[in-house]
Amino acid sequence: MPEVGPFRRSFWKSPLRGPWLASFLSSALLPLIVICSLTGFLSHAAYNPDLGQNALFDEGVDLYFFDWPTGPTWLYALTQGLHIITGLAAIPILLAKLWAVIPQLFERPTARSIAHGLERIGLALLVGGSLFVFATGVLNIQIYYPFGFSFVPAHYYASFIFLAALAFHIVTKLGVMRAAFRERGVLRPLREDLAHTAPEPGLEGRHTSAPVAAAPPTMTRRLLLGTVGVGSAALAAMGTGQVVGGPLRKLALLSPRGESFGDGPNDFQVNKTAESAGISMDKVGADWRLTLEVGDESVELTRDDLLGMEQVTADLPIACVEGWSTTQSWTGVRLSELARMAGAAEGAEMQAISIQPGGPLRQATLTGGQAAAEESLLALKVNGADLSIDHGFPARIIVPALPGVHNTKWVEKLAWEVKDSASLPNPSGAA
Amino acid sequence: MKRFRYEYGASPVHLLVALTSLAVSAWALLQVFDVLSGPGRFLIWLLGAIVVHDFIFLPLYSLLDRAAAGALTRGDNPSRLRIAALNHLRIPVLLSGLMLLVWYPLVLSRSPGGFDGATGMSTDIYLGRWLLLSAVLFAGSALLLALRARGLRAEE
Repeated sequence: MPEVGPFRRSFWKSPLRGPWLASFLSSALLPLIVICSLTGFLSHAAYNPDLGQNALFDEGVDLYFFDWPTGPTWLYALTQGLHIITGLAAIPILLAKLWAVIPQLFERPTARSIAHGLERIGLALLVGGSLFVFATGVLNIQIYYPFGFSFVPAHYYASFIFLAALAFHIVTKLGVMRAAFRERGVLRPLREDLAHTAPEPGLEGRHTSAPVAAAPPTMTRRLLLGTVGVGSAALAAMGTGQVVGGPLRKLALLSPRGESFGDGPNDFQVNKTAESAGISMDKVGADWRLTLEVGDESVELTRDDLLGMEQVTADLPIACVEGWSTTQSWTGVRLSELARMAGAAEGAEMQAISIQPGGPLRQATLTGGQAAAEESLLALKVNGADLSIDHGFPARIIVPALPGVHNTKWVEKLAWEVKDSASLPNPSGAA
Repeated sequence: MKRFRYEYGASPVHLLVALTSLAVSAWALLQVFDVLSGPGRFLIWLLGAIVVHDFIFLPLYSLLDRAAAGALTRGDNPSRLRIAALNHLRIPVLLSGLMLLVWYPLVLSRSPGGFDGATGMSTDIYLGRWLLLSAVLFAGSALLLALRARGLRAEE
């Protein structure tokens, strides 16, 4: 290909581009990506995909199965809040970073060596993978699915592509970053005013995005980076507003969960309304019964039966995978109490099943620990009033630190696993 | 070792890291083809993202920036006021555009059925909020420029 247009190095005029700018943006980006990735994988673990029908797709390899804890109660609100906040904050920095290194896309020759060729394949996966995970994540939190594939497995596996390519990129570019910071200092270029904003000279013996024919500067590096920082902080604030809630919810100016519903006991964020879940009113009326089931044994309870049992109140958050939370005061019957009544074994896993007619999340399985936790409730009321239909009337699950959608609404059945040893009436074997 | 470097272009460690990275990516793609009902669309989005960003989005905003810069700072020695004006234009437009880029499904009500149905809220408010936020950014930037203008002229 002839060296014309963007393939000519002199095509790229900005005096701000170069290895220092790219390195500085990378150092800002990396901690955000680390937190975002770790909390993303933690979220996957928080769904306990090894239990019951919890897995949203067939697992390939999961090396980090452990029972998701039930405390602190805000654990999932924290990890998933961080996932969305760091992800949003990373977007402007990622875009700036891509701008800073765009001349490298048009590098000639296309591959200087086999090693360089592999690096460029890795870069394609890095750019495609990063844009993919950020775009799908941002669309998902706005409940917009123009992509026509299932979000969870796509976002999950694309993150492996992104992170594998990122690891390769870091190994190959760490030297550039070190050299750039050694030659120009980590922060020194931020002190230059416009008169002192000179093009980066590039690095000896390395191919960088430093310009060979720079135009005069119209902007300092600190103004460029400050603008990126303001964009990043604004997005982080919008994310924080919907994670922390309360008076901070006002910060969520453009993020999806910034609206306040009112002051009533049921006026808080809804993940899925009764209407959209296909809940018909006749199923939640006076004929509603809760079935407790262990193996072949089952018990049926009315709502009045449940209200007649010991009522426990707990302040617990609904923390959504989409990165918003809301803490409310729930009242209902302990799941452990219902387990005793049903005759379930100690520490048995429990599956909650909803009236909801369809969808993979009409049911969820809790670990033995989650089902037995002091504050794990079948809630009947919230903030002193009966649950509204949108919040799961007649009864819903609420478990500390559990991902929001696993707090099953409109519960019609609780089923405990049958443990072989426990199902024997006399474990000492007096046959 | 020298021979390897000459033939390959980097150290053996580089090659091992490259192979590890590509193997993980290939594994993830296999999983995608195994699990996803529309694996072709996954590839289109993965590669399409590069095309859309690198060959459409970035050139487009660069051209807009170059047009604004050309109009405001033409000539060899643009005044400090003109350079400041350029940045007072660039920055609010950039921030407003960033907000639209990230929140366009809400701002432009791309998924009113999905969002409204699921959340019980409406996407109606977002276009107004984005417009007001943009207005505040533009007006704030204009005000700052006006306040700085005298000082900048005096420095010429």
